[in-house]
Amino acid sequence: MKIRTTLIIIVIAILAVPGFVPAALGTSKGQLSVIIDTESIRADEAQAIAHNLRAIGVSADVRIWEWSALKERIQAGERQIYLTDWGSAYFDPFDIVVPKFLTGDRGNYTGYSNSRFDAALNQALLAVDADVRKDAYFDAQQILFDDAPAIFGYSLTEVEAARSDVLNWQPSMDSRVNLHDVGLARGDTIVVGLYADKVVTLDPAAYRDRPTETVIRNMFDALVTRTWDGRVVPEIAEGWRAVSDTEYLFKIRKGIKFHNGDSLDVDDVVYTFDRVLREAGMGGRTSPRQGLLGPVEKVEKVDAYTVRFVLSAPFPVLPQALVHFQIVPRKHLERVGDEAFAREPVGCGPFRYVEGRLDDRIVMERFDGYYGGSPMLPPVATAQVKRAIFRMMPDPTVRVAALKTGEVHVIQSVPAHLVSALRRDRNIQVKSVEGTRVYFAEMNCTRPPFDDPKVRRAMNYAVDWDTILRTIYAGNATRLSTAFLPSGFGFNPDLAPYKYDPARARALLTEAGYLTR
Amino acid sequence: MGHVSVPSDELYKGAMATARPAESARALHRRGTMRRLMAHGGGRTGLIIVIAFATVAILAPLITPYAPDAVDLESWLTPPGLESNHLLGTDQLGRDILSRVIYGSRVSILVGLATICISSVVGVGLGMLAGYYGGVLDRLLARFTELLLAFPYLIFVIGIMAIMGPGFCNLVWALSFKGWVEFYRLARALTMAEKNREYVDAARALGRSNGAILLREILPNMANSILVLGTLRMGNMIVMESSLSFLGLGIPPRIPAWGSMIADGRRYMLGAWWVATLPGIALALLVLGMNLLGEGLRDVLDPKMMEG
Amino acid sequence: MIRLTRTQVKIAERILATIPLALGVAIVAFVFMRAMPGDPVDIMMGEGAWTSEEEMAALRDEMGLDEPIHAQLWAYLKRVLAGDLGYSMIRSRPVAEIIREALPATIELAVFSLLFALAVGIPVGVASALKPNSFVDRAGASLSLLGVSLPAFWLGIVGVLIFSMTLGWLPTSGRIAYDAQPAHITGMVILDAIITGNLPALGNALKHICLPAVTLGLGVAAVVARVTRSSMLDVISADYIQFARAKGVPEGEVTRRHALRNAMIPTVTLVGLQFGSLLGGNMIVETIFGWPGLGRVVVDSIFARDYPVVQASVMVYALTFVLINLATDIIYTVLDPKISL
Repeated sequence: MKIRTTLIIIVIAILAVPGFVPAALGTSKGQLSVIIDTESIRADEAQAIAHNLRAIGVSADVRIWEWSALKERIQAGERQIYLTDWGSAYFDPFDIVVPKFLTGDRGNYTGYSNSRFDAALNQALLAVDADVRKDAYFDAQQILFDDAPAIFGYSLTEVEAARSDVLNWQPSMDSRVNLHDVGLARGDTIVVGLYADKVVTLDPAAYRDRPTETVIRNMFDALVTRTWDGRVVPEIAEGWRAVSDTEYLFKIRKGIKFHNGDSLDVDDVVYTFDRVLREAGMGGRTSPRQGLLGPVEKVEKVDAYTVRFVLSAPFPVLPQALVHFQIVPRKHLERVGDEAFAREPVGCGPFRYVEGRLDDRIVMERFDGYYGGSPMLPPVATAQVKRAIFRMMPDPTVRVAALKTGEVHVIQSVPAHLVSALRRDRNIQVKSVEGTRVYFAEMNCTRPPFDDPKVRRAMNYAVDWDTILRTIYAGNATRLSTAFLPSGFGFNPDLAPYKYDPARARALLTEAGYLTR
Repeated sequence: MGHVSVPSDELYKGAMATARPAESARALHRRGTMRRLMAHGGGRTGLIIVIAFATVAILAPLITPYAPDAVDLESWLTPPGLESNHLLGTDQLGRDILSRVIYGSRVSILVGLATICISSVVGVGLGMLAGYYGGVLDRLLARFTELLLAFPYLIFVIGIMAIMGPGFCNLVWALSFKGWVEFYRLARALTMAEKNREYVDAARALGRSNGAILLREILPNMANSILVLGTLRMGNMIVMESSLSFLGLGIPPRIPAWGSMIADGRRYMLGAWWVATLPGIALALLVLGMNLLGEGLRDVLDPKMMEG
Repeated sequence: MIRLTRTQVKIAERILATIPLALGVAIVAFVFMRAMPGDPVDIMMGEGAWTSEEEMAALRDEMGLDEPIHAQLWAYLKRVLAGDLGYSMIRSRPVAEIIREALPATIELAVFSLLFALAVGIPVGVASALKPNSFVDRAGASLSLLGVSLPAFWLGIVGVLIFSMTLGWLPTSGRIAYDAQPAHITGMVILDAIITGNLPALGNALKHICLPAVTLGLGVAAVVARVTRSSMLDVISADYIQFARAKGVPEGEVTRRHALRNAMIPTVTLVGLQFGSLLGGNMIVETIFGWPGLGRVVVDSIFARDYPVVQASVMVYALTFVLINLATDIIYTVLDPKISL
């Protein structure tokens, strides 16, 4: 036999086998057929969902995308079901439910629109009275639950781990790694393995992402800060007072020093906010954080230790928002310029910058002139450790390996399947906090089949979240009834999530006119 | 990317020699290639491995204990062993790894075959045109391929996948997009060498058209070289698919492919080594087989080696 | 007037020819990035609430993204020709600075992978050639084929699990410990440690580079072994070697003095080609080992649609690729005067 013939026969034999070439899924007439889109990180979950949907006679398949590419197609209304998530920083539905489900808002990928829901949200946003806001959010929650624009999912518990010789360590809900209070039983340098490829900048006005904020907040302080479980407490400010719905006064603590020795005063505070609010305020560029200040119109000096925030509309979450605006030294920044400042930042936080590379590691040292931080967060003193290093460690397996070998002391985001093994390790302590990010599978409500709420509810009944969360996420997750977070304002604990009920799902699908095999 | 291919120069050395025996030697050295391949240690091993994999792939539905996409979350990450019902364990969705590895051979072979087919058809076609006609076309293609080679491959593929979106066919296209360059260079070099030979002149004298000369005279003469290059490159393509899966841009996950199985299982290496390692071994074996076969073919089809 | 030799003229020509190529690559990268779905401003803004369309439009305007594509391209090319690579959209720093910072790490890793590949590949290749079809030959061939066929990210993680976690010999990731850093001279820490005679730093850096270099270099080692083997086989059967043998030169000396030297010529060419692919092919290895090099910058920037960074990095890769090929061609002519450029 000729060799070429042999090879050609092999090739033909392979191609001739029926079903060898992965073909499109066969769909019988009248059967519902969907494609679930996801980023690779949630591919497992997407397949489990597809498996659940197939069990009720829906032909379901999964596609893995690069996020930006997928997002553009979602926004063009071309996709069907897509696994997405959205994080909240303000502990209020303001920055999670509003952008996700308010008609036409920036994060509204489902095309969901319900005027009753919008009215309830708007009422909650503009009211200052807490009870009115809460009632409005309760209404909104019920409407959202019934309309089910998404297969509502869960929030992941943030699991972090540290070597057992790290003292007084507590992960916080806003995924901040606060090294001020942390001590070491042995040694004086603490190393943190960040779940990040890079930090974007060291300038508190020039970023929008969490890892950057985590690093920056160890070198800079803000007017207010948060306890690990999300309460807002004063930091640079001694206290604050709402004069009206649209005017707030903040009193500044005396005797705070920046790392270069300058004293912090009201001018620094005014300058910090002015830099963010002003067009091209950051050395010719506009701060990407501008929008985070919402309706804040201007920030002005009242006297040497008082500053006034003037708003164009009520903004009840202002104190929550101010946690994320770190104060910069005006005189120093004006002298060295924005670019040099980002390279060698000077703040008033517990650590001062030593050296670093944004995609490698950032090294900082204890600032001995530190005022002690928020009196509500003991110990009120300089940092316990002499030096802190943040290392970028994008690979989860390597991060855990580095913790086990002792190369790093603290790591973020422990992979779910390793949590129990790490808990058994005597050299390691594992702690978790409730997450502030909502995960769900959104549906395209603008087009059949998901323009029909019956079908959307059927999807919600069809997915066996309990099993998915127990296995794939090893139980480190909280099932949610809607997109409202338990930690956020206005959460209704009595609204139970959709139960896993395939029979009911089938019934709903049949009612909507689809065959369920 | 991290995997490297045999430089084309080394291939050309063998391939150019292969194409040389144009007339009578051709018939002589073709006869019995199979027998000589079987006598060539590496070639024989390679052929046996490839045939074994092809057989497993064809018989997949008959020999797998489970459906490759049968999700069973309750028994996720079961270690391999005889005590459970999963000989090679299960993956992060409780799917049977043995079944997935067996079905994965279909997809991986198919990815390899399809990309190589597309690459070789495009590459050989353009290469022959460039080599035969030369001129502006040749110069244009030379610049274009230079550009493609200088462009980092992974960036290129990420971009293509983002533009086209996920899917089996898109992946094959993305992999072929640069794969053809090597076939192009080989075919161009061979065509330039062949076009001035007597038999081509003779065909021209008989009034054959250029198309006929290219297809009927020159192409059969370089088929062996292309075959060799294709066999050697197929493994690379299968490995390349795994790199894309690593970056989250692979094949739709319901289709079991070794590359994406390794990439997914990598996250579980600590604690569940088998998820990524077993398909890795299968992949390594097949690539080994393809390469041995390719090298065996090169040695056998190369008359210089035959005489020596 | 200086008279140039023919070779020098050719070299000059080749160097000049890289300019249009670099521009071509820049144009392709430019068009390519714009063709990709996604918008850098949108990605940078993440999920923040209260981000208005006006705010995003203003940022786009600041970055020049609202101009027509051809105008953007033209402006970009003009700036590049003037030596200005632009400003990163996400990292708020000049692109040139980002590349200057990341490139040394990438070059260092590529060089060490190559050294590893040569240190392993050449002896294996020679040994297999001296005793073809022996056990050594078979084992070498199989191992080198495995080296080519195992994905780097798998090898890397297995390496970390074995050598860092289980044996505790090597660090899991990173480039050098903070307290062991040598003075900054070239940015390549190993070179800096050697220049400053800082032995602890050198040791620390070498420990860090081991795993990534081996992971990246294994595939190349395989290719080097195969090429060395085949060129050794060619050389051994050559007349002058048979002649040397006939003259009674000891076998070891034949191998070392005559055969190996000549067999090295193709290996040297190969080294040049592979160095280029090592530079461009290290993105995954850099991600796994947290190695702060250009590969990671590029992958991150392509996902963030940081256009200027991707464009500039692609140009750097392309230029390196072309220049290294040129360099090997030059070395080749030096080794074997019969060949001209």
